[in-house]
Amino acid sequence: MKNVSKNCNGITRRNCLQLGLGAMTGLGMVDLLRLQSQAKGTSAAQPKAKAKSVILIWMDGGPTHYETFDPKPEAPVEIRGEFNPIATNVPGVQFSQHMKRLASIADKYTIIRSIRHNQGNHGAGNHYMMTGAPPRIPVGCGAFVSFHPSMGSVVAHEKPTTNNLPAYFSMPSMSRSGGPNFLGAKYAPFVVSDNPNSKNFRVRDLALPSGLTDGRYETRRELREQVDQLKRIKDKVAGDPVLNLDEYYDQGYSLVASTEAQKAFEIDRESDELRDKYGRDSFGQRALLARRLSEAGVPFITLYEGGWDHHGGLFKALDKRMPAFENTIATLIEDLDERGLLETTMVLALGEFGRTPKINPGGGRDHWSNAMSVLMAGGGTPGGQVLGATDKAGYSAVERVLSPENFVSTIYTKMGIDPDKVLYTPEGRPSHLVSDPTPIPELFA
Amino acid sequence: MKSLLYQCLVCLLLCSAVSARAAETSQQTVSVHPEQVQLSGKRARQQLLVTGLNNKQSIDRTRDVQYQSDQPAVVQVTSAGVIEPVSNGTATVTVTDGAVKIKVPVVVKDFDKQTLIDFERDVHPLFSRFSCNGGSCHGKQRGQGGFQLSMFAFDPEFDYGALTKESRGRRASPLAPDQSLVLLKGAGKIPHGGGKKLPEGSKYYNIMEQWIAEGATRSVAEAPKLVKISAEPTERIMQPKTKQQMVVTAFYSDGSTRDVTDLAEYMSSESVYVSVDEHGLVTAGSLMGEASIMARYMGNFASLNVTVPSDNSVTDDYYAKLPRNNFIDELVWDKLKKYSLKPSEPVDDATYLRRVAIDLIGRTPTAEEARAFLQDPSPNKRERMVDYFLEQPEFGDHWANKWADLLRPNPYRAGIKTVMSFDNWIRRSFHENKPLDEFTYDLLTAQGGTWHNGAVTLFRDRREPEELTTVVSQLFLGIRLSCAQCHHHPSEVWGQDDFYSFAAYFAKLGRKGRGISAPISGSEEMIFTANSGSVRHPLTNEVLPPRPLFGEVPEIKENQDPREVLASWIISPQNHFFAEVNANRVWADLMGRGIVEPIDDFRESNPPSNAPLIKALGQHFREQKFDLKQYIKTIVGSYVYSLSALPNETNVGDTRNYSRHYRQRLRAEVLLDSVSELVGVPDSFAAMPDNSTAKQIWTHRVSSDFLDSFGRPDPNQDPPCERTTDTTVVQVLHMMNSRDLYARIQSGKGNSAQWAKSEMTPDQIVEEIYLTAYARYPSIEEKRLGRSLFEKEGANRQQVIEDLMWALLNTPEYLFKN
Repeated sequence: MKNVSKNCNGITRRNCLQLGLGAMTGLGMVDLLRLQSQAKGTSAAQPKAKAKSVILIWMDGGPTHYETFDPKPEAPVEIRGEFNPIATNVPGVQFSQHMKRLASIADKYTIIRSIRHNQGNHGAGNHYMMTGAPPRIPVGCGAFVSFHPSMGSVVAHEKPTTNNLPAYFSMPSMSRSGGPNFLGAKYAPFVVSDNPNSKNFRVRDLALPSGLTDGRYETRRELREQVDQLKRIKDKVAGDPVLNLDEYYDQGYSLVASTEAQKAFEIDRESDELRDKYGRDSFGQRALLARRLSEAGVPFITLYEGGWDHHGGLFKALDKRMPAFENTIATLIEDLDERGLLETTMVLALGEFGRTPKINPGGGRDHWSNAMSVLMAGGGTPGGQVLGATDKAGYSAVERVLSPENFVSTIYTKMGIDPDKVLYTPEGRPSHLVSDPTPIPELFA
Repeated sequence: MKSLLYQCLVCLLLCSAVSARAAETSQQTVSVHPEQVQLSGKRARQQLLVTGLNNKQSIDRTRDVQYQSDQPAVVQVTSAGVIEPVSNGTATVTVTDGAVKIKVPVVVKDFDKQTLIDFERDVHPLFSRFSCNGGSCHGKQRGQGGFQLSMFAFDPEFDYGALTKESRGRRASPLAPDQSLVLLKGAGKIPHGGGKKLPEGSKYYNIMEQWIAEGATRSVAEAPKLVKISAEPTERIMQPKTKQQMVVTAFYSDGSTRDVTDLAEYMSSESVYVSVDEHGLVTAGSLMGEASIMARYMGNFASLNVTVPSDNSVTDDYYAKLPRNNFIDELVWDKLKKYSLKPSEPVDDATYLRRVAIDLIGRTPTAEEARAFLQDPSPNKRERMVDYFLEQPEFGDHWANKWADLLRPNPYRAGIKTVMSFDNWIRRSFHENKPLDEFTYDLLTAQGGTWHNGAVTLFRDRREPEELTTVVSQLFLGIRLSCAQCHHHPSEVWGQDDFYSFAAYFAKLGRKGRGISAPISGSEEMIFTANSGSVRHPLTNEVLPPRPLFGEVPEIKENQDPREVLASWIISPQNHFFAEVNANRVWADLMGRGIVEPIDDFRESNPPSNAPLIKALGQHFREQKFDLKQYIKTIVGSYVYSLSALPNETNVGDTRNYSRHYRQRLRAEVLLDSVSELVGVPDSFAAMPDNSTAKQIWTHRVSSDFLDSFGRPDPNQDPPCERTTDTTVVQVLHMMNSRDLYARIQSGKGNSAQWAKSEMTPDQIVEEIYLTAYARYPSIEEKRLGRSLFEKEGANRQQVIEDLMWALLNTPEYLFKN
């Protein structure tokens, strides 16, 4: 009942009447509901909220749990695969053989081995893990669907930046279900597709063209306001796309004006030594850029890394890719730790699901949502912990079985957002942030 | 807690409406479905459906009336209207609604008869009911835990085998039924990934157990087969926040029927407007809208179409007086009348001109065109302008550019010369205004070399009959068959049989020469009809003869290319899909939203927003012999096309009935070509002649930051490619800060320099800019503002023009089709 009373608190009878009137005339209802949702406090979540920023490393395709954080050396060969387990710096905890650098700092983060769900294709799995809500209707593998706002968009909505930087970044592209859904275009990620590993890296179109003076830029901006005469359809139910454009112009102006924003992108301010450590490839440098952005106050950054759908040739592919990849993650965690930022910055590495126990004839593993491994560092997450377990052969999460809802609720709680909060769609439908708003207590140190 | 919160808000919003309705219910008549009930066997049940009348509209009373059985020892009835047998005999169930009493005679027979459980009738449906065979579980391609079921139970033979023959019979063991894995797992007695689905002792657990105990037989001798299902009711207008029970009945080959309301699965096409639960109870939301509620039972479908009306009140007379330019208006008004929506006002000439130019030739009008049109005093000037645009060569490029999105492959895969030749073929077809049926026939039957007949590129790019099936059915029929490649389509009748029989039309494709050898694929390839080739069903391995998706199977003559038969079938008058999907595609481009959306996903579970309209448009397109120009002329000639985007007091929430125009951001190429017009400097593209427009580019591989920012299809992805129609902050930043655009605005060869050097007065310059950008004259205030810029102290004429151009380019009036 707590929520009901909370929600009605502060609304006088007169407000209620106005609310009703607004609904009847079809005007402003949504805005009122939204205002009301914004007025609702999130005090319950505050004490646990240590994180200010999330760096989400999204391994699209669904990384194998066997060859990363959940090796099964006791399982028959057709399940355990070609790789051997290695020890970590946490006694009794083993990872798969390529996870060397991460194994050496396993005391700095938690591995969750027991998240499971029921969405076995990419489109649906992406949606579930990235929004905390299962897709409402069956969706296909290749689908990019959105039925609910993504974590990044929710964080952008709830924790706006104060320095004109966009609150939600996605690099190098938009992720599958990483969109704002009903929250609106304002909370879509700012996509930086330019490669920070290239020599002349700059974020395209962010700076004024050389030759245009500040004064003239100001003149143009004022002039634009004056010549803009198109009538807007203010009521959100009309879905007028022009309103989105207005939001983007506001954002665009702020970005251009923000020196902090411009500075955050200047990756060459970092030492060569550190850049080498992160890895001189696009993922390595994007991870470093993500750290710079989080330092500058950006609360949510997604690094969208495709190519983890290993239906065939799994072991060769990991031989090639994993060493550099896991080194980048390890470096990011260490770097944040050394700067004293790990306490307030979360690093997450996961994909949409794990992979099948039996290695298929093509030497790969297929989709498997009954078990997956998730890395969570920072933001008050205990170090050296392995949470939950799969059975002996890695078929299914069996100990401390957790859902995507639990996972997403944990992220929100750490960010100071009440996962039980109700938001309203433009049609006025109430929508809970997470349907089961129970965070995972073991992830709060 | 959540539902309470929800109701609390709903009450706030709707309490007045609810009480009004409650007061009116006294004047109703009541009917019950079915009128009499026969229950055969102890597991039978019957959901009653009680319908009342209110203001000539049917409303559901099933959960609002009282039920009483006069023989509780024979039948019992729940408050939700479900009758269940207790023993053999007859009884009467009385339905009481206020003063009205209706008696429903009930007969129970065979209550004690030990009827054997039939796999197909009694057991198989449970796997769907409890979602065991969905795509995330045992229904997926390799099954789950080694146990694979056919997706949504489309293959009983397979599922029976999976249950009884595999896993050494441990899944269903008649010797110790309760030790059967399917029961142990289903009841959650041993770990089961899917959880506790069949609690021990529940009705369905008992059925499963008894079936196993009886020997887990494939089918009982002479067990009747399922023929079809029906849903009751099939159509309803539901007031907001009301409920409606559905009753789903299965019909069997022996003439018997069975209530399967509790066994069917339900889905809503638009759960925002109307939702449904697992018992077939339908709930209307608080918003005006429509949805189709689909019930699925063992591969059979039945649906209920629901309309939730608005609470506006508009007289019939109002609609009778609305203008009607052609049949489109009539059909749109019919729909608006249903919802009491009033259409918006019509737009002025300038807005119409800009809209029609963008739609027809893919750029904004020039100042010259705008002036000529606005000053034209003739009453039919709109029609004349439309005819003028239809004759411009840009028409062909604009429409070819749209079709190229759907067909044209990545040159790094298919070969540069090949893709150029294909692009050329598409472009020529639209410049010649080749009728769309001919275009389709020529494309689907193309033979020859990729460098000589570009149309064959489709068959170079897509090499397997399966790939061709997916793209051809989606593009030319609006039927998405891709699901049926691996399993039965979840919401349609299409199965693997249909898919591979369709694919068989492409089985005899022959290829000569070097195939795909990415990243260059430099050689020519010949496409021809071979003497042999077949397609097999992936499960049964049976060779499938070519068969279309519906209708009679047309004969394939000896030595005839099967593709010719398929192409003829696709474009034949019997095939309404072809005409409708193409009519819808063009309509969506012009009107901002498809009548069916997504535009190429036609199926019963995705109903059109205006069914008579899409039918009529398809028919009209066919009557026009698929002449694209004539068809477009009909649409832009309708009154509906000329409506303003701005809403009135009734239609602000209407986003699908065309009571107003829906704004669209200009497509990347359209915007770029329009910008070039305004700045007076053409953009330059690699691998294109000078002065080419963006619409003429032969591949999306030609680099352009502008086009990338505003979205064009990624040729690496499988066509039909969708482009983003959204705006993004990246686009905004590009318009504001692009160095390239900055340079073009201030170019010495461009309009800013020329006008600055000319004798034109500030007023004339301002007028020229407004006409070019917005296709309208500046208002008095706008002129005054423009003049003041030139008159400012130290103003540089060219810079003022540049600033004004920049400002206009960055407004929504410029970036959108209004």
